[in-house]
Amino acid sequence: MIVVGYSADPFGRAALEHGIAEAKLRGTTLWVINSTSGEAYVDAAFAQRSEIHDVEKHLNECGVAFELTQPVGVDTAAELLKAMDRDEAELLVIGIRHRSPVGKLLLGSVSQQLLLECPKPVLAVKPDVL
Amino acid sequence: MENLDWLLQGFEQAATPMNLLYAVIGVLLGTAVGVLPGIGPAMTVALLLPVTYNVSPSAAFIMFAGIFYGGMYGGSTTSILLNTPGESSSVITAIEGNKMAKAGRAAQALATAAIGSFVAGAIGTALLAAFAPPISRFAVTLGAPSYLAVMLFALVAVTAVLGASKLRGAISLFLGLAIGVVGIDFLTGQPRATFGMPQLSDGIDIVVIAVAIFAVGEALWVAAHLRRRPAEVIPVGRPWMGREDFKRSWKPWLRGTAYGFPFGALPAGGADLPTFLSYITEKRLSKHKDEFGKGAIEGVAGPEAANNASAAGTLVPMLSLGLPTNATAAVILTAFVSYGIQPGPTLFEKEPLLIWTLIASLFIGNLMLLLLNLPLAPLWARLLRTPRPYLYAGILFFATLGALAVNVQPFDLVLLLVFGLLGLIMRRFGLPILPLIIGVILGPRIERQLRQSLQLGGGEWSSLFTEPVAIVVYVLMAVLLLMPLVLRLMHRSEETLLVVEDDQDQREKAAQA
Amino acid sequence: MTTTSQQIAAAKPTDKAQYIVCAVLVLVGGFLIFDGLTLEEGFAKVDPVGPKLFPVVIGVILIVLSVILAIAIPRGSVGEADAGEDVDPNSPGDWRTVGLLVGLFVAVIVLVNPLGWVITGTLLFAGAATILGNRHYVRIIAIGAVVSLVSFYAFYSGLGIPLPAGILDGIL
Repeated sequence: MIVVGYSADPFGRAALEHGIAEAKLRGTTLWVINSTSGEAYVDAAFAQRSEIHDVEKHLNECGVAFELTQPVGVDTAAELLKAMDRDEAELLVIGIRHRSPVGKLLLGSVSQQLLLECPKPVLAVKPDVL
Repeated sequence: MENLDWLLQGFEQAATPMNLLYAVIGVLLGTAVGVLPGIGPAMTVALLLPVTYNVSPSAAFIMFAGIFYGGMYGGSTTSILLNTPGESSSVITAIEGNKMAKAGRAAQALATAAIGSFVAGAIGTALLAAFAPPISRFAVTLGAPSYLAVMLFALVAVTAVLGASKLRGAISLFLGLAIGVVGIDFLTGQPRATFGMPQLSDGIDIVVIAVAIFAVGEALWVAAHLRRRPAEVIPVGRPWMGREDFKRSWKPWLRGTAYGFPFGALPAGGADLPTFLSYITEKRLSKHKDEFGKGAIEGVAGPEAANNASAAGTLVPMLSLGLPTNATAAVILTAFVSYGIQPGPTLFEKEPLLIWTLIASLFIGNLMLLLLNLPLAPLWARLLRTPRPYLYAGILFFATLGALAVNVQPFDLVLLLVFGLLGLIMRRFGLPILPLIIGVILGPRIERQLRQSLQLGGGEWSSLFTEPVAIVVYVLMAVLLLMPLVLRLMHRSEETLLVVEDDQDQREKAAQA
Repeated sequence: MTTTSQQIAAAKPTDKAQYIVCAVLVLVGGFLIFDGLTLEEGFAKVDPVGPKLFPVVIGVILIVLSVILAIAIPRGSVGEADAGEDVDPNSPGDWRTVGLLVGLFVAVIVLVNPLGWVITGTLLFAGAATILGNRHYVRIIAIGAVVSLVSFYAFYSGLGIPLPAGILDGIL
């Protein structure tokens, strides 16, 4: 099973595409997780109904068996690591963004935490620059 | 006219750089807290009460008034862009406004809300300037018995609101009255309910109560329900409207104002009824009836105007009679007391410059809000991304700071905690907040009026009923109190009084289908 | 039919926790009556009300209201929990968080004089944010310290209110 850390932006979508490709390649299932800490009134990374609808449609069209969950009130990195703890999880796919040195210092990085702490392989992708 | 003179002097004062700065701060803060769900103008003014210790009264009130009006503007931004409303009085705006936003007409919805709020605010403030002085002059002629009757009426009105649980309103009210008892009895000098503690002999500082009930209580309540699904924000550019939208909006603006102002000025009114009535009226009168429920611009224009006009209206009893009819007005009144200014009918006589400066700055603030909100709306929407832990930790921090600043003693913090827990309990069990605050503010004043009236009347209870105004008010009070009973006898509930004409529309539609 | 009305009555949820409100009302009311009665009478001739009337009447009414509420609760009377703008009242309350905040507050009350506002304020802000879920510890302590310091000086020089300096007295 491939775990995809999804967010409602180009990085999440890039991760989804690569996750689909990997799942087809390995002939396995997909688990798409779009979580939010629920701490703010608005979370741009949290996919709303219409987007979820589109994602599910896309996944159905690709013919990949999938599960899509949207846990609320959790820490994203912890949630993805927990998912990777499952026996059947073999690969984690996440989208990463460029951070300036100052940005890396001041702001936390979910991707950095995942890359360093996940015991299984992690695929870090960037959106295609068109 | 003498009042016009005063108003011009007020503008002069309000336009000084210092006061303008405070006005800007006020409207910015007000819009920000209006946008953020969960934080309101009442809480913000309560948290800012410490500034009254060293800032001039006019500057402080200009800021508070800016926060008051700003809260209305901010609330409509959230109700249009989020699928949940900001201020509770913006619920109606959310119905049509959010639908408009989803249909890609967010810019127009925001524009009509902002301009409508401005129009209503301007007209409402003008009406305030016109009506408050004569009312106040009339009120001064009232004797102690009549003034007592009016205050009692305010208490009853705030408790016996149509459609709400009277039992719980009464519970809140009497808890507030109980808190007001604490202190030294003004006639006999004996300590009452002070637990033998000298710190309580001056009574419980109203600033501590206001901050505890509004800020700490709210923070604790939200802390118990902290994480939830984020709402969907509809992205929007700069608000603007086309000519067609303008043509459809201007009459609802005026009608909304006509609904909002009188309801705001009456003690039993509030902002919910007029916005509701405005919505129904616009629906009935509209040539685009089928758009209602899918994003009709009249459904935003009218209620928003009603909302703002109602806010202006609540300032009438507050400034002319010293009676607060909503939470923010109640907190602003405590600021008056903090400055040693006695609120009541004599306010216009004793502090004319202050009051007229305040009224002038309402005009200025209103204009500032229009100019700020039109271009800045997308920015306000970004404010919604602030994580709650920062927000509510900040609220608790400033609440503690404010309470500590009163007397610099930890005892006030104990009171803050105790009453903060009370605020939490009230929110958990559905006890309305406003009657409590009104009880705390008006309770001691009513007792004082009562005993002074009796003193003047030679100790005779009948002296309370000697003035015609007093009698009229008592009759009105009786009507208000007995109405639920009468309705029950007629086998109707109060909700049927507010029967939505939608019902009729629905039946017609069903008949046509 | 009697069975359906019984079924309906049973189906209506009763919010037994409301008895807490009754308890509070009885406590406050009882206290007021007790305290009021210990007062001396006023100048009875022109002050027939006297200092006792208000507290005693309010106390009595509070107890009456408590009884009315106690009767109404089993009948399904429910106060609509404040559906503020930011709260989903249907979710069960996270009282552990509230309890932790109260505990933090008590700590602040005890520590504000000995340790001074700057330290206690930082503790309050950082502690509250952490209890509420924030995880960026260094950042939050830094922000808390800055805000506490700024407010300390602002209140002293701007408003003329000296907040407790505590053990940092002399350094600040």
